[in-house]
Amino acid sequence: MKKGNKYGIHRVIEPKGVLPQPANKLDNNMDEIYDNEILIDVKTLNIDSASFTQIEEQAGGDKAKIAEIMMDIVAKQGKHRNPVTGSGGMLLGVVEKIGDALIGKTDLKVGDKIATLVSLSLTPLRIDKIKEIRSDVDQVDIEGKAILFESGIYAKIPDDMPEKLALSALDVAGAPAQTAKLVKPGDTVLIIGAGGKSGMLCCYEAKKRAGVTGKVIGMCHSEKSTQRLKDLDLCDYVFSGDATQPVAILEKIEEITKGEMCDITINNVNITDTEMTSILCTKDKGIVYFFSMATSFTKAALGAEGVGSDVTMIVGNGYTKGHAAITLQILRESEKLRKVFTELYA
Amino acid sequence: MTKACRYGTHRVISPAGTLPQPAYKLDNTMRIYENEVLIDVKTLNIDSASYTQIKNACNSDAEKMKQMILSIVEERGKLQNPVTGSGGMLIGTVKEIGNEFPANRLKMGDRIATLVSLSLTPLKIYSIEKLSPDSDQVDVKAEAILFESGLYAILPDDIPEKLALAALDVAGAPAQVDRLVTEGDIVCIIGGGGKSGILCCYQAMQNVGPYGKVIVVEHSKENAQRIIDMNLATDVIIADATNVMNVYNKVMAVTGGRGCDVTVNNVNVPSTEMTSILVTKGQGYVYFFSMATSFTKAALGAEGVGKDINLIVGNGYAKGHANLTLNILRESKPIRELFEKIYT
Repeated sequence: MKKGNKYGIHRVIEPKGVLPQPANKLDNNMDEIYDNEILIDVKTLNIDSASFTQIEEQAGGDKAKIAEIMMDIVAKQGKHRNPVTGSGGMLLGVVEKIGDALIGKTDLKVGDKIATLVSLSLTPLRIDKIKEIRSDVDQVDIEGKAILFESGIYAKIPDDMPEKLALSALDVAGAPAQTAKLVKPGDTVLIIGAGGKSGMLCCYEAKKRAGVTGKVIGMCHSEKSTQRLKDLDLCDYVFSGDATQPVAILEKIEEITKGEMCDITINNVNITDTEMTSILCTKDKGIVYFFSMATSFTKAALGAEGVGSDVTMIVGNGYTKGHAAITLQILRESEKLRKVFTELYA
Repeated sequence: MTKACRYGTHRVISPAGTLPQPAYKLDNTMRIYENEVLIDVKTLNIDSASYTQIKNACNSDAEKMKQMILSIVEERGKLQNPVTGSGGMLIGTVKEIGNEFPANRLKMGDRIATLVSLSLTPLKIYSIEKLSPDSDQVDVKAEAILFESGLYAILPDDIPEKLALAALDVAGAPAQVDRLVTEGDIVCIIGGGGKSGILCCYQAMQNVGPYGKVIVVEHSKENAQRIIDMNLATDVIIADATNVMNVYNKVMAVTGGRGCDVTVNNVNVPSTEMTSILVTKGQGYVYFFSMATSFTKAALGAEGVGKDINLIVGNGYAKGHANLTLNILRESKPIRELFEKIYT
């Protein structure tokens, strides 16, 4: 077998010298794999929702056209990176072959059912046939193959829960896992956007780690999600507020924490202009974790300086060691959450 | 005196409910609230993006530039450039201190530089004494308000004002390096040859001790040579930081494939996130000081290559940052001489 690069640079056709994600074309020849790759027999593509919506619109909702557009993307790029949105998605499949250099190093074996947790926008893919398009859940069943690089992350699909349920949680696995690592016993934790998918998982982990001496405050926007979070009974305090209004939220948190403010604030809300709220609610030397992709780097950096706040601000990293295990465990431990996830997402 | 908000929201006229920075108009009545400080302003150090915009809009005509500055402050109650959104800082003397301002920090007559932006500082200009289109320092007769949360530095007697200002401007970076870097660490400083890069290098060299490494990645040959001459790094790599694989290979060669414990990104060009991520080892730290950093490129980039590292948004403020930075100028003669030559 040929020796491959850890990050998959050996599959980049053009432009030369870039990583697989920004590359325009990847080598998707699967007849022969490199010594540090894993070949996957693909069952289902879970297309990123922005990408699927764009393709669906371009096709006017026609399934044959959707299939045609998808085949065309992969034929041109060797991967399924939507040329308009730039996004990918993830895939479900079965391990077919493991490169020589990885044998003994990886915990995978041939026949394992896995989900890749790296984006399709950097995963070499070949589609032989599109079998079924399920527009309501952005999923497409195919016959095809894909390559997982040595640096690529994945999760084994567990036997004790339905595939779709596992996938819906794995999609946001980074947030609860980082929460688990950050929160210490006795901490006061604020979760902004606590009623959404990743927010609910974060609330659970935060309470578990903060313990009886800690306090978890969940902030939601809509009445419906606020009520849902209250019913789940994961937080010490749940309230509804607009995260783009820093002064009002600051006053509310001052009241709840009796002026102590929060040790850790986790921002999960996907709208702009919530940086200042996150910063102001956090105490000096506290931590703000930005999981929202709508976060503006400059607003956060200049905002903290502007109010003289000595907080540590962290860019949410979707990956941390053990993130899949931590997140799937939540669904095993909390029957209430599992039920809500099954109803909403699976 | 009236009780007021720590962050100065009591000065916001419109839109209501916002903080002073995003606000359109501030109340610049120069009668202080009990948690404020009144400053007799001597010099405005206008942000370079803002000053350049004003200068271009006025065809470098000093009189027109004066008019434009006066009219911005007249309209908004602060010197926030409506086009660039940026401000700058100011130098002045403490004239009055409110009863509720944190005690024992400032006394009347102290010469201070504000380290919060002019874009959120209530300001009233009585006259502009001196403006030269080539210098972004404008001498004025004016008064300004420092909020309870506002940052400032007392100007030292042993360092010239302009030199102190140039260093204080980037005080956050070396202070954060001091917090993050410990003995024996391998540190990579991307864009190590610029103003904040040099201060970071100095601090990193102090902290890593004899067994650590400080690797500088610098694009300009001249800047790289300066780092070598001043002995501010153990290794210097001349490379374009946007060329990911090239920098990665060179850093790996220097570190024996280990990667770095801490990477500090100071380079003000886009698309250097992946370089910073790849040269850092698992569980390591990347500190992004560059304002050209893209949040999504950093977040998705680390996930894409499966790197479990801490990505930190550079905070311009850290407790004690002004002292630490001024001390570097006191300790290092070569840096002081260089800064005097370039920035004053």
